[in-house]
Amino acid sequence: MTHSHTHAAGRRTGTSSRHGGRSAVPVPPQIPARRGPGGRRLLAALLLVGLLASVLPWWLGTPAGSLKSTAATLSAAGRITGLVAGYLLLVQVLMMSRLSVLERWIGGEHLSRWHRDVGATLLVAVLAHLSLILAGYSELRKQSILAEVGTLLGEYEDMVSAFVAAGIMMLIGFSSIRVIRRALPYEMWHLLHRSSYLVLLLGFGHQFTHGAQLYRPGPVRTGWIAMYVLVVAALLWGRVIAPLAFNLRHQLRVADVVAESPDTVSIYLTGERLDRLAMLGGQHFRWRFLTRGCWWQSHPFSVSAAANGRWLRLTVKVVGTHTADLRDLDQGTRVWAQGPSGTFTAAHRVRERALLIAGGSGITPIRAMLEELPPGAALIYRARTPADVLLSRELDWLAQERDTSLWYVIGSRDDPGPRQLMSPDGLRQLVPDVARRDVYLCGPPGLVEQSVRALRRAGVPRRQIHLATFEL
Amino acid sequence: MRRAFLAITGLAASTTALVVLKGSPEATQVAQNLPSGQPVNPAGPGADPSAEPAADPAAAASTPSAAPGAPSSPTPTKTTTARPSGTKTTTKAPSAPRTTTKAPQSTTRRVTGAGFDAKDGSETYGYVQVQIVVSGNRIVDAVALSLPSGGESDIHSGDVRSSYDGSGGEVVRKQNANLNTVSGATATSNAYKQSLRAAIEQAF
Repeated sequence: MTHSHTHAAGRRTGTSSRHGGRSAVPVPPQIPARRGPGGRRLLAALLLVGLLASVLPWWLGTPAGSLKSTAATLSAAGRITGLVAGYLLLVQVLMMSRLSVLERWIGGEHLSRWHRDVGATLLVAVLAHLSLILAGYSELRKQSILAEVGTLLGEYEDMVSAFVAAGIMMLIGFSSIRVIRRALPYEMWHLLHRSSYLVLLLGFGHQFTHGAQLYRPGPVRTGWIAMYVLVVAALLWGRVIAPLAFNLRHQLRVADVVAESPDTVSIYLTGERLDRLAMLGGQHFRWRFLTRGCWWQSHPFSVSAAANGRWLRLTVKVVGTHTADLRDLDQGTRVWAQGPSGTFTAAHRVRERALLIAGGSGITPIRAMLEELPPGAALIYRARTPADVLLSRELDWLAQERDTSLWYVIGSRDDPGPRQLMSPDGLRQLVPDVARRDVYLCGPPGLVEQSVRALRRAGVPRRQIHLATFEL
Repeated sequence: MRRAFLAITGLAASTTALVVLKGSPEATQVAQNLPSGQPVNPAGPGADPSAEPAADPAAAASTPSAAPGAPSSPTPTKTTTARPSGTKTTTKAPSAPRTTTKAPQSTTRRVTGAGFDAKDGSETYGYVQVQIVVSGNRIVDAVALSLPSGGESDIHSGDVRSSYDGSGGEVVRKQNANLNTVSGATATSNAYKQSLRAAIEQAF
């Protein structure tokens, strides 16, 4: 397929014709205010201060010059890494608490990236803590490392559970290495990650029975326990109370299931007080459809229309058994939703104008966002065949209403047309000011990778590239 | 991944830096740790039950470096410590606090003794510092603010703590520093007694 065959490759701008006035936007669109990186930076600074504060007791409690022997030095390093590991574990759990403040200020994409980086650091800290303490203690007792392990397990309270916690953490860490993670079934990986709560529980005891800075009652111990209480409270709030309140308030139900294409359906939802649902176009929820066979799975799907106060819609491509079941949802089925989350929104733009690149069913968040972007945006919609193009009528209307240039680029990735277009030169030709635009990307991984490479070479700074990644 | 690598490097570097910083002694703090020659023994002569040669290792180990730090020994601090009454004169005998005829001030105060290293020959197990709570002329509580920790030291320090510390511990029962050495924890016991002695010195 050549470029000339691409479907509807024309440039459509809203100024030309406004006949009919049928708009997919029933209410005058509101462009959300920008959310700068201020909140994120503040939280990052707070977390860093917390890290320093958690090592401070060691610093204050250790007299200068007291680390004279090798054993003392090793144990001291072990204690520092232990304190760091204890703190980072709490940070890790906190970041996954789905607290709406974190979601708002940091955003799911950043959170999951932080989670991955802090996770790697945590794993190293735990391993360092373990080996340094073992080395230090065995040096002190003049026995082999193995014998020392035996002594610790046999004679020290809470140490067995601490070792188990370290073991689980190592498993989690290694299972998250990209190569290994791809080879594992998702359910297994997920189950392993769930067991990190166990790590929190099992690792708790030994910090207070043996932690040189923590076993003594006092402000340090109290503060450390308070951190635990805080994190558990955040978990409860973010994962139980807030979703409960949300679902009781809105009581979402399936209103209709509409076929968009042979393998795509739109699910319309209604509920109570939807006008008070604070959601931005491009955000997603985790959905749980409360029918037999579906209730136990929750999946993240973007909402494919901006908030309108009356209904929500998600557009889902049928790829597995779960999504196939969604085609047969009955009207009135209750839906449990968690969210909204995601920073793939107009509010996170850093420039005035945007370029949107969608691939296949990746159009859904972009379709919703289109209603909230300032005029002058450009949308490139990649699809393999014309039948894969979703919501095209809405897109056409929206493009008109919102003064947006819209290109449908149809064909396989290796066809000359799409290939030429998705190159740095092709992008610059199509959107001359691409380097000064925000670029929102959503689609299959191949397309996203290819586009990011092309965009970077076309001179788009990294911070202007927004990816819709669903954290797990 | 680049940031994770940075974070891990940072962790390693800062841990090393912290340990190195604490490892290099500062003049003032060392002075505190080192014993002040032969401390005045409020427990009286011969009261020290530790008959072993290494019984008083910290005192024996008055290393040359102690000389510059000597001024900050517990003895001079005596004059600087605020004290509610003139009970100072009644001390020096181990039984003095109990037999004093002066009306005891019923105020409670906390007195912290100088810290000592728990040493056995060349091996230093850690730092020991004792705080006592004095009500009138009685020691009503004792607590070790610092004890050696790590490895077996945790166990020994626990033993020392459980026999000496607290309102029902040996310190409160005996009202002096003439404590029984905890078996297996000679060095720690001795350092405890030294610090306790310093605290009693300071308090009465």
